Amino acid sequence: MSKMAASSGRVLLKSFVQGCCGCYSVILPSIARNVILQKPAVTVLARLVCTSSTLQRKNIAAAGPEKYTQEFIKKQIEEFNIGKRHLANMMGEDPETFTQEGIDRAIAYLFPSGLFEKRARPVMKHPDEIFPKQRAVQWGEDGRPFHFLFYTGKQSYYSLMHDTFGKFLDIYKYQYGMRAEGLFSQDTKQVNLIGSRWMIKEELEEILVQPISDHDCLRFIQLLERILALPYCSIEEEYIQRFRRALEVQSKKQKIEPLQYDENEVAFSIGEGRRKTATATATVRDNGSGNITVNGVDYLLYFPVLQDREQLMFPFQFLDRLGKHDMECKVTGGGRSAQAGAIRLATARALLSFITENEVESMRQAGLLTPDPRVKERQKPGQEGARRKFTWNKR
Amino acid sequence: MALKRLNRIVQLSHTVSLTRPLHGSGCGLQLGAATQTEAPMESPRAVFRTSESEPASHGEQHIGQFYTIPPSQVKTIFPHGLPYRFQQQIKTFNEACLMVRKPALELIGYLKKADPAHPSVRYVLYGERGTGKSLSLCHALHHCSLQDWLILHVPDAHLWVKNCKELMASSYHRARFDQPIEASVWLKNFRVTNERFLKEIKTSQKYIWSKREFTDEGRPLGEIVDQGVTRVKNASDAVGVVLKELKAQARPGSYRLVVGVDGVNALWGRTTLRKEDRSLIDPSELTLVHNLRKMMKNDWCGGAVIATVTQTGSVFTPSSAYLPQELLGKEGFDFLDPFLPVLVRAYSEKEFESSYQYYRDRHWIQHHTVDSLKSILCVSLAPPAGHTEEGKKELLFLSNRNPAALERLCAFL
Repeated sequence: MSKMAASSGRVLLKSFVQGCCGCYSVILPSIARNVILQKPAVTVLARLVCTSSTLQRKNIAAAGPEKYTQEFIKKQIEEFNIGKRHLANMMGEDPETFTQEGIDRAIAYLFPSGLFEKRARPVMKHPDEIFPKQRAVQWGEDGRPFHFLFYTGKQSYYSLMHDTFGKFLDIYKYQYGMRAEGLFSQDTKQVNLIGSRWMIKEELEEILVQPISDHDCLRFIQLLERILALPYCSIEEEYIQRFRRALEVQSKKQKIEPLQYDENEVAFSIGEGRRKTATATATVRDNGSGNITVNGVDYLLYFPVLQDREQLMFPFQFLDRLGKHDMECKVTGGGRSAQAGAIRLATARALLSFITENEVESMRQAGLLTPDPRVKERQKPGQEGARRKFTWNKR
Repeated sequence: MALKRLNRIVQLSHTVSLTRPLHGSGCGLQLGAATQTEAPMESPRAVFRTSESEPASHGEQHIGQFYTIPPSQVKTIFPHGLPYRFQQQIKTFNEACLMVRKPALELIGYLKKADPAHPSVRYVLYGERGTGKSLSLCHALHHCSLQDWLILHVPDAHLWVKNCKELMASSYHRARFDQPIEASVWLKNFRVTNERFLKEIKTSQKYIWSKREFTDEGRPLGEIVDQGVTRVKNASDAVGVVLKELKAQARPGSYRLVVGVDGVNALWGRTTLRKEDRSLIDPSELTLVHNLRKMMKNDWCGGAVIATVTQTGSVFTPSSAYLPQELLGKEGFDFLDPFLPVLVRAYSEKEFESSYQYYRDRHWIQHHTVDSLKSILCVSLAPPAGHTEEGKKELLFLSNRNPAALERLCAFL
């Protein structure tokens, strides 16, 4: 009877103990056996035992993305501001007027990184830009959700659609009113859509702080287009422009050097270009007859291969200026193909000073002004080359 | 085809303007009288052919124009003399057309004015790779041959100092080496060129080839050449004998001798041939080279020596070298000094235009599209207007007016 009690007590203890995580003490009932006959209470020997974490690993993936609390974000913001002031101090700037560009410059100076991927480099930004926006708790203390569309699952998206359709109905009512007064006319001020594009799904998700599907985004854009089809859509122009993003004009990014004139009143321009490890500087002169000198040597002798000479010819041929310019270039580094590519880029850049904006744009689209980013891939350990593996041996 | 020929006659006989007189009043093409009223269709283009096939009558006005060498003359005068690519071009176009250019005209002018009583003048053609030195030499030799000179043409002296399969010790001189194959080949071609002279010129002494073979005094030179061709072992010595005899007997009264050597810098450069003990052979240790060097000296009268120095085919010379000083070396330069240097340059605008028209005429370059150079050879039904100019500009740029580069560009893929 007492034995039974002892054993059941043991089982209970064990089950209780197994329920807890981390180190737990195992109660050894070894001596208890002897003691049970005299005393019903069990005196135990406790021994601390640690088990490995693999046995009780948390299922991290199932928990979802990390949730940052409001206090955590607030603390990060405070730290960022203090850090910003410290950084300004270090760089000798005024802490009051230290902007984000200043921070970027300072970080690039203090932590120089040669990584190609810009997003992998060290960065110091406001926590709002680093930590993803999270939705605050959607329901009150009584468990009732705040938003009326909460139970649709995608509350912000549907509320957006609801609002947009409300605007659509407003315009329609206005139009009806104009028709009733007899002031209806088709030629009204249209919304200017040139130079901008609709938002993409990622940007919409950022605004709504909620994942949506491609189909949802498409439906939203279609609704906006429907609004734009109405004659009086300019009423809600402000609302619509919120969902458009400006397209940068690419060609304005090109820095065009002004033409320089040498002592014989001949216009010339200098351009630089790089390809792989070769760097080239080209001086293109006007009123020429197609003489090209590379490192003091005629280009026919310097580039015996036809392909390299075709590369040299490309910028001139594209602009139809084959026999009109003289060129001298200096090029170092790289191999013969890299040198040809570097000279080509340098020539194209030098020719920018001689041509109109439309031609600049067409050159950019032809790819003459884009530096070729391909470089030699590094060799990895355990492989013979960048991609080539060692010969596979069965044994 | 007939219409084209008619147009050509019209072109040739119709005077467009005083500034650009058309030449060739002689009608090489026998096709009736040309209609003077018909305006030539190709008048905007420059005339690129001339019907003067005598180099002696070529003048300044013919510069940039092509003249045809009749096939019979090609076979006799140049059995081995023309560069390989030019021979292929002859075969493709079915005619041998050479451009008249300034260096060749200069050379021919000097040859005409040269006094046979004076020691032979040495002319050295030099220039960058592919500018036309070999063909200028051939032009001059054509002229000499039509003037009834004796032609001694070594098409490429570099062939004698490299890649020799059989090298044997000379029987005449212990330290020297013979090249039987090259010598016999050269003798065969020499015989083709100068059949007439070989019967006339007589030997001045007796030559013993071996225990049983000998050539008496007073026998025609043709026998020596035959001896060299049949007995290949003695070919190099036969060459030496021929050269010696020709040099000795070239007097103002008798025949006039022109020695044309392409790649004369091979005679004073280095060889790639080795002796049995793996040591390099000096050029002076080769019989052929030794004898040819003696010809290059100016101690004989009644002729001329025309040579080209070229880097193509030469061994152990940098590709940027083209001046005679660099290519001949000190020894060669001192040997040839004094000589008359003639610079051969790349095409001028007019010559380039002429060459381009010639290729168009031969349908070698057909219609052009703007984009790629490779589509130059594709035939399209209607030539797009204005694109021919762009294609020409591309060719001009890519070849930089170098004749060989242009020829390679227009070659088949």
